Amino acid sequence: MARSKKQSNARTFVRLLGFLRPYRGSLAFSTVLAVGSQAGAIAVLVLTGQVVDELRGARDTHRLTALVVAILVVGVVKAALMVGRRFISGRQALGVEYDMRDALYARLLRLSFGFYDRHQTGQLMSRATVDLQTVRFFLGYGLIFFVQHSLTIVSVTAVLFVYEWKLALIAVATTPLIVATAYRYSERSHPVLRDVQQKLADVATVAEESIVGIHVVKSFAQEDRRQERFERSSGEVFELSVRANTQRAIYVPLLTFMPILAQSAVLIAAGHMVVRGGLSLGGFFAFNLLLNMLVAPLRMLGMWIGQAQRATASGERFFEVIDEPEDVADPPAAQPLPRGPGRVVFERVDFAYEPGRPVLHKIDLELAAGSTVALIGRSGSGKTTLAALVPRFYDVSGGRVLVDGVDVREVTRRSLRREVGVISQDPFLFSASVRDNIAFGVPDVPQELVEAAARAAQAHGFVERLPEGYDTVIGERGITLSGGQRQRIAIARALVIDPRILILDDATASVDATTEAEIRAGLTEAMRDRTTIVIAHRLSTIALADTVVVLDHGRIVARGNQSELLETSPVFREIHDHGLLQEIGVAL
Amino acid sequence: MKVWQAGSHLSDERGARVADWSWRRTRRRLGLLVRLTLPYRWRTALAVVSLLAFTVVGLAPPYLAKLAVDKGIRQHDLHALALIVGAFLATGVATLALSSAQTYQTGWVGERVLADLRNRLFGHLQQLSLGYFERNRTGAIISRITNDVEALDQLVTDGVTSLVQNTLLLVGTAVVLLFLDWRLALATLTIVPLVALATAWFRIRSNRAYRRVRERIGLVTATLAEDIAGMRVVQSFTREPVNQEGFRGINDRYREANYETVVLNGVYFPVVDFLSSLATAIVLGYGGYLLIHHEVTIGTLLAFTLYLANFFDPVQQLSQLYNTFLSAIAALDKIMEVLEEEPEVVDAPGAMALPRAAGNVRLEHVRFGYGDLPEVLHDIDLDIPAGTTVALVGQTGAGKSTIAKLLARFYDPRDGRITVDGHDLRDVTQHSLRRQLGIVPQEGFLFAGTVAENIAFGRPDASRADVEEAAEAVGADDWIRELENGYDTELGERGFRLSLGQRQLLAFARALLADPRILILDEATSSVDIGTERKIEQGMHRLFAGRTAFVIAHRLSTIRDADLIVVLEDGGVVEQGTHAELISRRGVYTSLYGDWAAHVA
Repeated sequence: MARSKKQSNARTFVRLLGFLRPYRGSLAFSTVLAVGSQAGAIAVLVLTGQVVDELRGARDTHRLTALVVAILVVGVVKAALMVGRRFISGRQALGVEYDMRDALYARLLRLSFGFYDRHQTGQLMSRATVDLQTVRFFLGYGLIFFVQHSLTIVSVTAVLFVYEWKLALIAVATTPLIVATAYRYSERSHPVLRDVQQKLADVATVAEESIVGIHVVKSFAQEDRRQERFERSSGEVFELSVRANTQRAIYVPLLTFMPILAQSAVLIAAGHMVVRGGLSLGGFFAFNLLLNMLVAPLRMLGMWIGQAQRATASGERFFEVIDEPEDVADPPAAQPLPRGPGRVVFERVDFAYEPGRPVLHKIDLELAAGSTVALIGRSGSGKTTLAALVPRFYDVSGGRVLVDGVDVREVTRRSLRREVGVISQDPFLFSASVRDNIAFGVPDVPQELVEAAARAAQAHGFVERLPEGYDTVIGERGITLSGGQRQRIAIARALVIDPRILILDDATASVDATTEAEIRAGLTEAMRDRTTIVIAHRLSTIALADTVVVLDHGRIVARGNQSELLETSPVFREIHDHGLLQEIGVAL
Repeated sequence: MKVWQAGSHLSDERGARVADWSWRRTRRRLGLLVRLTLPYRWRTALAVVSLLAFTVVGLAPPYLAKLAVDKGIRQHDLHALALIVGAFLATGVATLALSSAQTYQTGWVGERVLADLRNRLFGHLQQLSLGYFERNRTGAIISRITNDVEALDQLVTDGVTSLVQNTLLLVGTAVVLLFLDWRLALATLTIVPLVALATAWFRIRSNRAYRRVRERIGLVTATLAEDIAGMRVVQSFTREPVNQEGFRGINDRYREANYETVVLNGVYFPVVDFLSSLATAIVLGYGGYLLIHHEVTIGTLLAFTLYLANFFDPVQQLSQLYNTFLSAIAALDKIMEVLEEEPEVVDAPGAMALPRAAGNVRLEHVRFGYGDLPEVLHDIDLDIPAGTTVALVGQTGAGKSTIAKLLARFYDPRDGRITVDGHDLRDVTQHSLRRQLGIVPQEGFLFAGTVAENIAFGRPDASRADVEEAAEAVGADDWIRELENGYDTELGERGFRLSLGQRQLLAFARALLADPRILILDEATSSVDIGTERKIEQGMHRLFAGRTAFVIAHRLSTIRDADLIVVLEDGGVVEQGTHAELISRRGVYTSLYGDWAAHVA
């Protein structure tokens, strides 16, 4: 179990490194520059040692000046190499970040409705922001520093051995201990830090929910209970943060202390050697300065190991999205949907969102081109699901759905959906201008067509009255639209693509009678020559349909025109009588 | 209706522009921080003391190295050397203990203060009136509790420590150098103005650059959030290629902005590094000259080189801090803005609890407008006897929902008054009023949790039988039982698996379970399927029995059975009476519902 986890971690890590492949060249070049500036840093210290010996011995001012100038020259070269290294690796880091984000977004665009049913927006956002951030920080910067620090440790240690191998042995005695401690720290802190992030996300969720639903909280005078709930979440964040901080308070000072042990030992031993003449004073200087140079990288090494682990964990979550199979994909060599009048046929269609919980059973239904079918039935009877199969938002579990004689799974989704206009119950508008929202499916459509669609959907009037008409940005500066207005914009959005098939999911539920009548008038116009599926609760909407289909528990229990159904379907009779009441009421 | 967009809080850009640097404002900021820290003053004091001690002890090792050379090695005094190294080791142990204590205490206090601040912010937000939430974008409000508090986190846990420690280290090092040898120190410290100059340039440029980066990453995040939330629409309308293209543009603009920071960092840090080489050269050149003339010891040179190795770290760290510091202050200002926001609707001093209401509601010459916007209700006069079912009808924007909000005292009228059983709403506590109200809004808002928990929202202690009874009463019991875990089914993000109609029914059941004296239905069943609605309408008399009910609806079938129908037009009452009375009058009501009936064939 632990082993296979390790293996999968290693696999993820290697896959992450794959993002660096396009940057092999610059990676190699920046490594060369890093090696150069590293050598410069060592050279400065070696030269310092020589200056000291010079001062002790010959006291030749010319040689002293020469050495000092050498230090300055090395300093300039080193700085120049650093500039180059930073420019190159910075560009590469940003490139990796760009590529990852681009890949993720491209994937998100292709994932099916089923995926979005299963995943909450918040979770996906945390993949796209927090996880991506961790990975790109590691690949972009962490890895470079990791390499640089490893380089420092190896090269400085090598130089130490060249100077005086016995001293070097003492100096590196604590190295494994430091790296091991740093690693242990990152091992222990990682799960805690991850939990902190998780709990912070909880805090955000509770806050968001309470604020979006503030009217409900206030209506039921439940402020105290929400406060309690919130404090519980923020208390958990506190507890975990303190735990993380306690680890930090133990390990970080310990890691600072460990090199001091080696330094003390070296001071004593080197002191003895200088006194006995085994080491020059300049050598003593250089040795101690070099040793000083090791402190930070050793401490960081463990940290970068931790970074690598976090990046791997985040990478795993990132790849979860990238690897998510496209349940609804275009088959190879898919053709565009051929032209046709818009005949829709369901053939023995079964469907389940989750295996074992069927939602639709053996649906057989034919919609003649240009006809209007009303789907009625109780909430949860499968009306919306049935309609969602036409634009292939989901794939059937059995049977098939045909548009103009072609199975929807055999044509490109793009060509299919171009011909299906969907107006959902709870329309989502983007924070863009009204115009862009209406022209969403055909961004470069001329303004006249946008306005024509808005007119047909009875939206033109109120849009004109908005502060900046069609250019008004929705959601900005408190400009919000009522439910009815949003719905009318959604209708216009569907009409402007001029689809063969129109799907209306109870789109007129929450508007007043006058508006509904207006929308209905617009719809009658829009539905002409289109095959339309209306999911309806009201008799007034049902009245638009040529055929009514009654669904119950995922099965068609009745179908026919209104007068036929009045005879055969108790469900329809109930709706009809109910709607009739309205008629009689007004007639009184 | 508020447009809620998932993840919009993430898009709120964390601006690092601090508008007000006045001493008054600064004092207010400090005041808040001090008030938050005050309960933990002993821990804070401990943290400060250990921080100071730890920094001072940290200055010792290079000096000890000098002693080791001058007093130990060069004098060939190995005993002294051992003593000095012993002292060196002792400072290490002291640093270990002190920095451990300091990290722990600072972290503890910092996290506690942030948790307190979060709780306080949340509590304060809940006290604010509905108007505040309608004026401000949800995303921006949530961002106060999440992003802004987290921006403070960096300052509180690392920033302050780093600021104090690095400043001390910088000053302390300079002092020690001057003390070791003032000539050499002055020569070396000529570098400081150069470092300061480079840092100032870097600070100004990078502040601008980072602001641009934040703006552009904000746009990236906002686009992602909105596109994920609206992905179904994106795919329905086959916008994938257009969106991909657009996102590339945004992603690329972010990369461009970020590259500027790479360039700035890529110049600044090597320059500082070169300056440190320059300092080494000065120490060795000038120090060597002094040494040749026996003015300094070799140990002093060693101490200088070691001090200099640590001298440039604080400079760089402090320059890094500048941005953290700015964004933390900007965040703090935004948080304070919320905390200083006064609720518009507050309990009057000495407000009493509303006794169990019979439900006689009167609106007397009520006038109202939102904020400083034009009036939307003009002189409304209504007398609703206890137990009456009132239907409010009229076109969208006639003022129906506004009346409902006034009844719940989400707003106070500009003029006139509203009474329940003779008590002015402004004289009773909001809590006692709302406990006796049941409001069912159109959106059917649900919380994360189970179906049962959502129904029992207003009465958490309700028994399962009561919950089921309420669900049964609104005709929701059947389909709830068919959910995978029945009443214990967890509803995801705002009940996303349920249809709008189902959400409305749960909200309705929730209101009923609270057993309100006054029930307000604001388009509460507009999306419910007709069979269920029918059932509700049939049971209406039972549901409404003994309660005063306000029903806002468009549908005739819901309206016609009301005891009283109030027709609103442009914020005024134009007709009232029973269905039969209003129909026979052939006025506004008939014209409204004539429309409807004409299409029912």
